[in-house]
Amino acid sequence: MNVVRDENQSFVVTIEDTGESFSCQSRQHVLSAMSRMGKKGIPSGCHGGGCGVCKIQINDGAYETKKMSRAHISATEEASGCVLACRVFPRSDLSLCVIGKLQKNILKKTDKPL
Amino acid sequence: MGVMRISHINIRVLDMEASLKHYVNVIGMKVVHTDAAGSVYLKCWDEWDKYSVVLTEADVAGIINVGYKVENNADLDEFKQRITDYGTAVEDIAEGALPFVGRALKFSIPSGHVMYLYADKEYVGTDVGTINPEPWPDGLVGAGVHWLDHALLMSEFDIDKGINRVEDNTKFMIDVLDFYLVEQILVGPEGDQQLATWLSVSNTPHDIAFVGGPINGLHHLAFFMDSWDDVLKAADVMGKNKVKIDVTPQRHGVTRGYTIYFFDPSGNRNETFGGLGYLAQRDRPVTTWTEDQIGSGIFYHTGVLNEAFTTVYT
Ligand code: FES
Ligand SMILES: [Fe+2]
Repeated sequence: MNVVRDENQSFVVTIEDTGESFSCQSRQHVLSAMSRMGKKGIPSGCHGGGCGVCKIQINDGAYETKKMSRAHISATEEASGCVLACRVFPRSDLSLCVIGKLQKNILKKTDKPL
Repeated sequence: MGVMRISHINIRVLDMEASLKHYVNVIGMKVVHTDAAGSVYLKCWDEWDKYSVVLTEADVAGIINVGYKVENNADLDEFKQRITDYGTAVEDIAEGALPFVGRALKFSIPSGHVMYLYADKEYVGTDVGTINPEPWPDGLVGAGVHWLDHALLMSEFDIDKGINRVEDNTKFMIDVLDFYLVEQILVGPEGDQQLATWLSVSNTPHDIAFVGGPINGLHHLAFFMDSWDDVLKAADVMGKNKVKIDVTPQRHGVTRGYTIYFFDPSGNRNETFGGLGYLAQRDRPVTTWTEDQIGSGIFYHTGVLNEAFTTVYT
């Protein structure tokens, strides 16, 4: 018997920090779904698993991941649900909190603020 | 005598298959070689040397090294002496250690980024040849970029700790490798700290650039395009291919270039850089951007420096 997989299955992703939620298709990564729907909460950078700004902790739900930079996510972190939002594809509704942040602008360190 | 131009950049990618789709279908390069370790070598249609971008699969993204081509092999002896005299360790690399490349020098610039210099690389010719050439070849794919134009390297910068690798790199490139300063961003209480510099060794507004950041890394590698129309079309290609665009077509105040910033599938930032901006000359007065106008320097139209500029890189 053929099992037909629904490529367009849609799940709800909730950002615990803000209570914000948005829908994300199974073939779409969480960060892309968030940005394309005009939602905010997870810092958005390279969308390629390389820069690390979109680091999140998934507290509930099933998902698949693509390869992400070990400079930002260790194997241990990955195993415990600490992942990059741009490499996470939902397989159920997800609940997560945000870890990554856009580092402070380099210039804020100077005496003369911008 | 001297350095002529950027000749290659070797970057790390997380997923080779996805990266090749990007550099071939979106950027428009051709694969010319795969080495024993699995690194893939690519060339743009208007380049005459064998390759300019080398992709190496790894578990992190970012830059491995960058290579500049010098005019003659004898230049390498002179540069070796100068680099040594500057107090920097330099290694002789045998012919062929870098595929299709002659003898080379390997050293680290003050930030720690690894750089090669060499004079010989296998000549294969552009896609239009040298006899009565057409202006462009048929069958260009994606953006169909002309050539690898420059790299911008993020260099450690922490005023409070007195660390400014932008300044250190800039001094090295000028004093040792005969680059000249074209534009700079000055910041700090006295307005005398180089937060960013653009240096040329030819007549393009920059052959290398440095921007200060919390850690060293790769800000972007840039490919040359002719015109604003080409840059717009490149953005269309990116939209079609769902490429993550960082900054849509815009003008840089610095260098006056037409730009798009976007990311490859591993998060390495790319740029398509259009127009010559101006003809850089060794005696052209240096352009300075002040701290309060950085936004306009980088993104001229909006005047707003997006948060990602100094924080999102590999
Ligand atoms: S946005 Fe860069 S790693 Fe996710
Ligand atoms: Fe650039």
